[in-house]
Amino acid sequence: MHTSVGDFPGARCNFGVRRPRAPALRRRYGAGVSDDAIQQLQGIDAELAARLDEAVDPEKLYALQVEFLGKKGKLTAKRALMGSLEPAGKKAFGQAFNAIKAAMEGRVAGRKETLEAQARLAELSRIQDLTMLPQRGHVGSVHPITSTRRALETVFRSMGFDVLDGPHVEAEQYNFDDLNIASDHPARDMQDTFFVAPLSGGQAAADLVLRTHTSPVQVRAMLTRKPPIRIIAPGTVFRRDDDATHSPTFHQIEGLCIDEGVSMADLKATMERFVRAFFGADLAIRLRPSYFPFVEPGAEFDVVCPFCERTPGETCSVCRGSHWIELGGSGMVHPNVLRAGGIDPERYTGWAFGFGIDRMAMLLHGVSHLRLMFEGDVRFLEQFPC
Amino acid sequence: MPGRTPLPDDDGLSAAITGLGLEVEGMTRYGDGLEAIIVGEVVGRRPHPKSDKLGLVEIHDGKRNVEVVCGASNVPDAGGRIAFAPEGTVLPGGMTIGARTIRGVESRGMICSEVELEIGSDGDGIMVLPRTWAAGDRLIDRVPGIVDTVFEVSVTPNRPDALGHVGVARDLAVRLRCSLAVAPLTAPTADPDPTLVTLEAPERCGRYFGFAFSGAKIGPSPLWMRVRLHRVGLRPINNVVDITNFISMEWGQPLHAFDRARLAEGRVVVRQASNGETLTVLDGTELTLTEDDLVIADAQRPQALAGVMGGNDAGVQDTTTNLLLETAWFSPAPVRRSARRHHMTSDSAYRFERGVDYGLGLSRAVARATQLIGEITGARLVAGHHARGQTPATPTITLRPARTQRILGMPIPDDEAQRILAGLEIEVDTADPAAWVCRPPTHRPDLSIEEDLIEELMRVHGLDDLPSRGSMPTAYGTDAPTALLDPAGEFSREETDALVDALVATGCNELVGFAFADPEALAAVDPRSTTTAIHVKNPMRSQHGVLRTHLLPGMLDAVALNIARHGRPLRLFEVGRTYGWGEAPSGDGPTAAIDRRLPREHMMAGVVLCGGLVTAGTRSMYDARSVGGVLLDVLSRLGIEADLRPATAEPAEPHLHPGVQAEIWIDDRRVGSFGTVHPDLVRRWDLPDGVAVFYGELNVAVLPKPAPAQVRRLPRFPATSRDLSLDTAATVPAWTVVAALRTAADSLTESAAPSASAGDGPAKALTEDPPRLSPGDRAGTDVEVLEDYRGQGVPDGRRALLLRLHYRAAARSVADNEVQALHDEIVTRALTALAGSDPEIRRR
Ligand SMILES: [Zn+2]
Repeated sequence: MHTSVGDFPGARCNFGVRRPRAPALRRRYGAGVSDDAIQQLQGIDAELAARLDEAVDPEKLYALQVEFLGKKGKLTAKRALMGSLEPAGKKAFGQAFNAIKAAMEGRVAGRKETLEAQARLAELSRIQDLTMLPQRGHVGSVHPITSTRRALETVFRSMGFDVLDGPHVEAEQYNFDDLNIASDHPARDMQDTFFVAPLSGGQAAADLVLRTHTSPVQVRAMLTRKPPIRIIAPGTVFRRDDDATHSPTFHQIEGLCIDEGVSMADLKATMERFVRAFFGADLAIRLRPSYFPFVEPGAEFDVVCPFCERTPGETCSVCRGSHWIELGGSGMVHPNVLRAGGIDPERYTGWAFGFGIDRMAMLLHGVSHLRLMFEGDVRFLEQFPC
Repeated sequence: MPGRTPLPDDDGLSAAITGLGLEVEGMTRYGDGLEAIIVGEVVGRRPHPKSDKLGLVEIHDGKRNVEVVCGASNVPDAGGRIAFAPEGTVLPGGMTIGARTIRGVESRGMICSEVELEIGSDGDGIMVLPRTWAAGDRLIDRVPGIVDTVFEVSVTPNRPDALGHVGVARDLAVRLRCSLAVAPLTAPTADPDPTLVTLEAPERCGRYFGFAFSGAKIGPSPLWMRVRLHRVGLRPINNVVDITNFISMEWGQPLHAFDRARLAEGRVVVRQASNGETLTVLDGTELTLTEDDLVIADAQRPQALAGVMGGNDAGVQDTTTNLLLETAWFSPAPVRRSARRHHMTSDSAYRFERGVDYGLGLSRAVARATQLIGEITGARLVAGHHARGQTPATPTITLRPARTQRILGMPIPDDEAQRILAGLEIEVDTADPAAWVCRPPTHRPDLSIEEDLIEELMRVHGLDDLPSRGSMPTAYGTDAPTALLDPAGEFSREETDALVDALVATGCNELVGFAFADPEALAAVDPRSTTTAIHVKNPMRSQHGVLRTHLLPGMLDAVALNIARHGRPLRLFEVGRTYGWGEAPSGDGPTAAIDRRLPREHMMAGVVLCGGLVTAGTRSMYDARSVGGVLLDVLSRLGIEADLRPATAEPAEPHLHPGVQAEIWIDDRRVGSFGTVHPDLVRRWDLPDGVAVFYGELNVAVLPKPAPAQVRRLPRFPATSRDLSLDTAATVPAWTVVAALRTAADSLTESAAPSASAGDGPAKALTEDPPRLSPGDRAGTDVEVLEDYRGQGVPDGRRALLLRLHYRAAARSVADNEVQALHDEIVTRALTALAGSDPEIRRR
């Protein structure tokens, strides 16, 4: 229901519209001149004035306007009276007619403004409850692995790294041999490998594997580029592992930098920059000696846990109170790997690193179970609007 | 010897071991609370008055006698010794021993089993101690090591020496600047008897010590040894086997003991097996051997798979008295091959395949083992033989201190470096101060090049003072957008990411699925996969048997999961690779030789719309067209204008409903398809009735590279339109009608205005209005389909399309009669082209 305009004080006032008033005519033109004719005109004006309230909407007002002022309107019809007057009377009548016509047009205009003002107030008095929205539109979401990969790429691109990719089905030569992992080396046990079954009568699948790490991209980068080389290689990798914390498919990012005079100290500086850019905090890096066949010396790299402050006063569930998070492996590229890539290890040195994107995504978003990442429950996915 | 350096506490030790590259993964403190356990002497036993199962045992605790209730059946007779927990003891598990009344009899303390004391796994009976131990003695004084901390160390495969406690201790001693104390050992003396060992495979067995013992008494090991084995997770078996395990843990040197009486002629032959020979090993498996297997045989047949596992027949048993103890060095790679061939793992193979010590460590292990066997089993060493085969040459490595600095980016002072190398038992000759000549010890087969030694310096010195080098090399990326794998593809990685964003912007949720697929489910979606799919030789489960050739199976899995869990409508997409055997690429880059042998990997984008569980009275919010709309929107967001066309694939896409599918084309390229998922698949995935699933995909590799948008001049003159109602057979796609009209329009307007050609560059298009009358002002809106009407007035099998054609001249207003003439001509020509489709104009 509309609130009645009348509820508002002053709603009926005419907002200062000035209208000529008919009684003044008599004073200006004197009595006795075409008095009767002019009185008829004044009667029409008075009738309009009396009926103006009938015009409750613009359509009725228009009808009223046509009735009185239209081509065949009541006032227009009175113009014929002019013919019966003497010349002197004609002039006076003409002046009076125009004045009354103007006055009546003024009444109509005033009424129009009143109606518009009423309509405006009525519109303004309308209330709609916007706290109840209709069904929302679809908000898509980017998978946390994708968004984390991209954030990593952005950081490393800004540091001058190119982003490379490689095949998921890879030759053992690039996945193992050229990375200093000989076929009888126990290090192959570190990465339980999926092998590709040969295709009878078709392409030979001998020695093809699902890449167990992104490191074959290192080999490909060395074979197809010349130092200085500065690349990262994010992507899907495969290992025969399936439990609460391992998935047979997961995602890694690999970094490689080869130039003259590159040392572990450069690796440390790069990792520090990366951590600062990625976590947005000046977190300390720790390198811990370790073994990876394709680097020598090798080191794990840890970062001070940026998540402890999420749970002040409690043991941090991410680092379990150790204040360090193991991020991944790194080290100086093994001379055998450089040689396999056609690079002289006496002239060039290089470092490489690698870590898990999925784990990083889990850390960033507080995802507790790896399984959630891959099963595709939309209630999980939609929690990551970009 | 100088005073002993105080060792750090457990946490400090753990940090030091981890810092050495031997990551401590766990630390367990054992035996806290055992200080209170004492040796008790059994004084007497009597039955429990109210229980057949319980007994009352009177114990002398060194001061007085107490009586306890005990249910064990192995309580020794008077004079026997047991482990006694007096009243008030808090056991390692936290249990407090108090005086309590058991079935009316007060029990003041407890007789302990191994389990309660955390020193063994035998909880059936109580622990019986040697009678020589005095009542009242504390157990911790009698059993060294009973209170201890066990560090669980993850040993990387390059460090076989650290698979023995001595190896870890050696590293730790250098790190902590203290000396490694090894108990004094004397080489065993035995009468040489070359017939004991015949070495027929010297290239595979570098060392073989065979020692013959007689008079061994097989029984349980002493408590101290059982405790230690238990704490490292080994089950005590008998004294001889325990000694071999103990040496393996202490020195990283696997040993094997044979019952010599069971060896034919009491001797061993180290030889390659002959093909087909069999051997039943300790775990009962019968192996069929090959020539590549090395065996330890007696005079007749194999008795052990060398370095991997002993045979069943000549194993040590309770009745054994004569032993033949093997301490050997086997070549790593063949041991690994044998273990893998026979699918066997053992602590022994684990160590041999990584490379055990063939030098001093081996001799020390021999000395320790013979000594322990004599002491513990009472056996007498009667004869021995040491056969030598080939062992690896010790490398000579040049270490340049300058190179150390270059690799690490920090200096390690010469004296510190030399101290570290010496502590690791690496011989160093520093005659040339710029190039030291180093010889690694035999227990470090991993050290073969200069960088290995640099790593040793880094490990022991630590990385705490490694600087961050401030002078980073300047950025030298090539900045080239990086091509995806598919050489035919134009889309870069960045553009593929933009595709993901466009899909997200249409309100879809991104999935990341597995590359694996179930072969049968995949074949149901993509029948070609039976010949093209890549099979995984060793999948973890059969449902992961092949690599996906198609995104749909994984996406349907996700749909099924979501429907089962909550039934909500779904808009899912995945951008990922599919895999399949196919034609090799023809590149000739440095990796071409390998790339030619690899299967093909294609980047695909798939979209699934699903209306969710439909309840009575509601309709699915999607239909098959919705998914086409999503795909076209996505392409539009990338600045790519695409067209829909009726399905042309022959046969039709098998994963889609044969009558409800269409294709997406860009110019002359088919880039995708969409439609309703085939009803057979909906059934196969067990989706409930009424769940409708729509799928569309884009072949990312064939998408044209998005180019910067080229602006069109805004039309200056109004367009005029004409409507047309055309009635055709219902089987004629709208696309066919629209295409006919467009073709007709193009043929007319182009011939009328030859100067307006597509070859004009964008700059020209901006400055020059083509002086022609043409429908529309851009492709795609020139001919609109307003309505597809079937029903009253339209015969069955036919439909009426209400179409609207827009006309506009670039440089002037057009007159009605001019438009009408053009329109009539276009319609006439289109009708001619559509003659085969039986068109009929209802209204023009
Ligand atoms: Zn934390």
